Amino acid sequence: MAAEAKAPTRRVSSQRTPAELLRVIFLPLGQLLAFILGSAVVLGLIVVVLAFLLSRSDPKILQTALAILPQVIIDGIVRGFLFATIALGYTMVYGVLEFINFAHGEIFMVGGFVGAGVSYLLNQWGILANLPAILFVIIVVLIGMTVSGLLAMGTERIAYRPLRNAPRLVPLISAIGMSLVLQDTVRLVATNTPLGFNARFETPNFGKPFQLATIPLGERGIPVLIGPKAVVFIVAAMLMLLALNYLVNATRLGKAIRAVAQDRTTASLMGVNVNQIISLTFLIGGALGGAAGVLFGMNIGTVNPYMGFIPGLKAFTAAVLGGIGNITGAMVGGIVLGFLEAFVASYLSLFTGGAFSGASYADIAAFSILILILIFRPEGLLGESTTQKV
Amino acid sequence: MAKSSPQTSGTGVWAQLSGLLGRGPGGYAFLSIYALVTSLLLLFNPRTNLFTDIVFILFLLMILAIYRTKVHIGFKIALGVITLGLVLPAFGTLNPYYIDVATQAGIFATLALGLNVVVGFAGLLDLGYVAFYAVGAYLWSIFSTPQVGLMIAGATPIPSGWFYGFILVGLTVGGVFGVLLGLPVLRLRGDYLAIVTLGFGEVIRVLAVNLDKPVNITNGAQGIKDIERPPLFFGDAFRAIAGAFGMQLDDNQLYQLFFYFMVLVVVLITILIVSRLKNSRIGRAWTAIREDETAAIAQGIPLVRMKLMAFAVGASFAGAMGVIFASKQLFINPPTFDLLRSIGILTMVILGGLGNIPGVILGAVLVTLLDLQILPRIAEILRSAQKAGWPIPAAFDPTQYQRLLFGLLMILMMIFRPEGILPEDRRRQELHEDDE
Amino acid sequence: MALLDATNITKIFGGLTAVNDVTLTIEKGSIVSVIGPNGAGKTTFFNILTGIYKPDKGAVLFDGAPTAGLRPDQIAALGMRRTFQNIRLFHNMTVLENALVGMHTHLHAPIWNIILRNRSLRLEEGKARDRSRELLRFVGLDEKRDELAKNLPYGDQRRLEIARALAGDPKLILLDEPTAGMNPNETVEATNLIRRLRDELGVTVVLIEHDMRLVMAISERISVLDYGTKIAEGDGQVIRSNPRVIEAYLGKGAAGNAA
Repeated sequence: MAAEAKAPTRRVSSQRTPAELLRVIFLPLGQLLAFILGSAVVLGLIVVVLAFLLSRSDPKILQTALAILPQVIIDGIVRGFLFATIALGYTMVYGVLEFINFAHGEIFMVGGFVGAGVSYLLNQWGILANLPAILFVIIVVLIGMTVSGLLAMGTERIAYRPLRNAPRLVPLISAIGMSLVLQDTVRLVATNTPLGFNARFETPNFGKPFQLATIPLGERGIPVLIGPKAVVFIVAAMLMLLALNYLVNATRLGKAIRAVAQDRTTASLMGVNVNQIISLTFLIGGALGGAAGVLFGMNIGTVNPYMGFIPGLKAFTAAVLGGIGNITGAMVGGIVLGFLEAFVASYLSLFTGGAFSGASYADIAAFSILILILIFRPEGLLGESTTQKV
Repeated sequence: MAKSSPQTSGTGVWAQLSGLLGRGPGGYAFLSIYALVTSLLLLFNPRTNLFTDIVFILFLLMILAIYRTKVHIGFKIALGVITLGLVLPAFGTLNPYYIDVATQAGIFATLALGLNVVVGFAGLLDLGYVAFYAVGAYLWSIFSTPQVGLMIAGATPIPSGWFYGFILVGLTVGGVFGVLLGLPVLRLRGDYLAIVTLGFGEVIRVLAVNLDKPVNITNGAQGIKDIERPPLFFGDAFRAIAGAFGMQLDDNQLYQLFFYFMVLVVVLITILIVSRLKNSRIGRAWTAIREDETAAIAQGIPLVRMKLMAFAVGASFAGAMGVIFASKQLFINPPTFDLLRSIGILTMVILGGLGNIPGVILGAVLVTLLDLQILPRIAEILRSAQKAGWPIPAAFDPTQYQRLLFGLLMILMMIFRPEGILPEDRRRQELHEDDE
Repeated sequence: MALLDATNITKIFGGLTAVNDVTLTIEKGSIVSVIGPNGAGKTTFFNILTGIYKPDKGAVLFDGAPTAGLRPDQIAALGMRRTFQNIRLFHNMTVLENALVGMHTHLHAPIWNIILRNRSLRLEEGKARDRSRELLRFVGLDEKRDELAKNLPYGDQRRLEIARALAGDPKLILLDEPTAGMNPNETVEATNLIRRLRDELGVTVVLIEHDMRLVMAISERISVLDYGTKIAEGDGQVIRSNPRVIEAYLGKGAAGNAA
């Protein structure tokens, strides 16, 4: 198993000083922020250099590239946190069970639908418009987390637990089946209620976008904007990471989860209720996915039953990228992937003179990364290599 | 040795049934009556309705009964030729809907047999199998239509007679794609492999959507239409035969029969190849890899090479079938080759019985019938029930819920019968070989 | 001439030295045992010989040729076969098929011959079947050739694993605890079988074993590993009286008491 499982052996004492505790909880976030800054700078420089080289043939390229750069970085951060929060669910379940919960993308989607449903009801009751935005966010996120978490727990109970000792591919196939069932069940519900296939996610007014800076370009200058919903997304994602770090590293439950991840049999001999811990892992991972779904739906404005599949796949890529089983790794992987996609989506078309549409090739870029990373560094960027036992 | 062993397989009903039809005239009588009744019901009541559906399903299941009943091999072949070679085509001229279903079932049977080589024999979960099918289909579509001129300036479509050659080209190109995908990914562990192949399938589909520029290769989301069909070189002879029975056949009917027979032949060839491979050093090496990779290596089996071979063999069936499918369908577009199709084929393999050839065919036929016949029929029933005032939601159309169907089948099979309806039984198969 | 020459083999996992500077020479036609307490690095050593692990230091010469850089399947194809401590048969294949898989490296029919099922293919398959059944008879499993491997009793599974290894026509066979979990009767049978491997088939045998009676009864040479290091080597007499061996097995101080 990856770093997450190995780490506890170094921490012998069960009691930590508050300073140590703070370090454990906040350090990954600090690392993450430093990482975001670093990758933004590196990718930005690459773009500038490329644009500079290309600008000899077409001088407008450099100008355009620079003008959209800040927006692309913001876009990358938002995408990155999206993948990161979904990836946490994959990575936690994998850490504990060594099992790819294929249906996790659908847990995310359900979160989005629950959010849309709640906001529809609030709208029907006429209280949506008057609700303070922050209160609204808290309400829908909490409900979305609850439903998704319980759903994830339920899927484990029904479709995975009976197969826990079966060959590896058996629960995976069951999980694929679960993913399809969830997609169509939600579709069945959605199309037979006023929500519809493409359900609108109503929100109260969040206010105007924040203007971070103005790029002095041309006569008027181009404003760098970040929407309030994107800010909510980023802040919420960071809070979730903090909460998860606290939970895993500083509580009894976290210790039990790490113990089960390391060695299920021994953990059960030590009196850990393995089934309960696995259920809780699904609950936590599902709740995080659900929250991501709500925030994503809120950001985009609509949700549909199939929207979880591709982000799910990409989040899995992110989890693998960061070293599956490793929580900080999942966040880092998500950010890398988010940046990469944002850059490919925005610049590919610009740099190739419109020959390749960036948005579609962003998917291909993501999958290519998955394939490359699995082949050349299957333990991920932050994972430790392990030897197969014979 | 065959006689001494007690019933080795089959639980409950199967054991009783095969015991009843074990030997003597019982089997012959049963099959003859079964064939006669279903054939007559089909031929004298060719209308499309629920009753015909059921008879048609029973008729197709008869093939399984013929296979499982212990009668002389010559009788089996004769009955098979009569039912599939005469009765079904004749029925098809009376009702084109059902022969199209049979053709589709045959196409899926070939695909499922190909995927079974990868998943069932070698134990590699491939979720992007349909990509190879797409490659074959696009190959013929591009080269048989003016699309080729958009891709290569000045090129003209090749004559439709090349169709037969292109089946071999599809076979080869499919195999090459299988190797190209396999080379980098086959070192991966099983569950990672599944995800990567899924990603690959998506990549191929996204490419099909987007490769209309900078050079128009696939014509993007609009797809390619007016795909050529091969010339009907025996059309006149066939018309004459049909005419002797008092039937007038138009071109469309002839093409329907043509593709039916074509697919039937391909299915038979596929069965032959796959079963021969299975009982060879290659098939044994695949099974060994599936059972225990480390032990397989210790026997001197080169893991990557054998896995590559499984990938290539599986992919080449899909490539060849893609050519036939495109020609039969006349029109293809990217959604034809989405993930759901791959999942559907996987469901067939899992439902029927991983690794078991008759099981996989049964799975393909059952899922195709469910998809094309039973779901629409349920939809019809629901609609009439709804008109009669039952509380059924208006927007619910069962034919649109294949995901639910496939998903439920996968979960239920994994939990309750992971070995499939007709599990692989190597002992029985050994015995069976001695019978022949 | 030495069939196998392993010199200065060292393997380190993380911080743990599993095998430390072990040298072992095996003469053609001999029966050699590698013994030692649990965790002494015996199986790791086997895994290095068969190419599953790459040694951090040292080299293996098999039949005069270095095996460095070869994959495990290539080493197996050279004629070095093994069994596993925890029996790794192909459970859902029949006994005969298991033996046939063992013959994989001796079957070369190209794929088109298989598809056409032509004469050369049928000839090759026929020969393979005959040879496999011969070997199954040798270990006493021919009657059960159509059973699934997983349905065999424990002792038969061990014998099938040996038959499967023999199917590759090996020069050297490595047996990893061939009598683990057997009762005394079965152990005697296994001992005879191992001896017959060498006497009747001329295969060189290296075994890892815990059953001292078996080891003493059939090995011409014994090497003792402890904590990854070779602490003694010689025939049964030498090993029995070696104080370091007694210490390794019975603990410190035991050597003095025994002497």
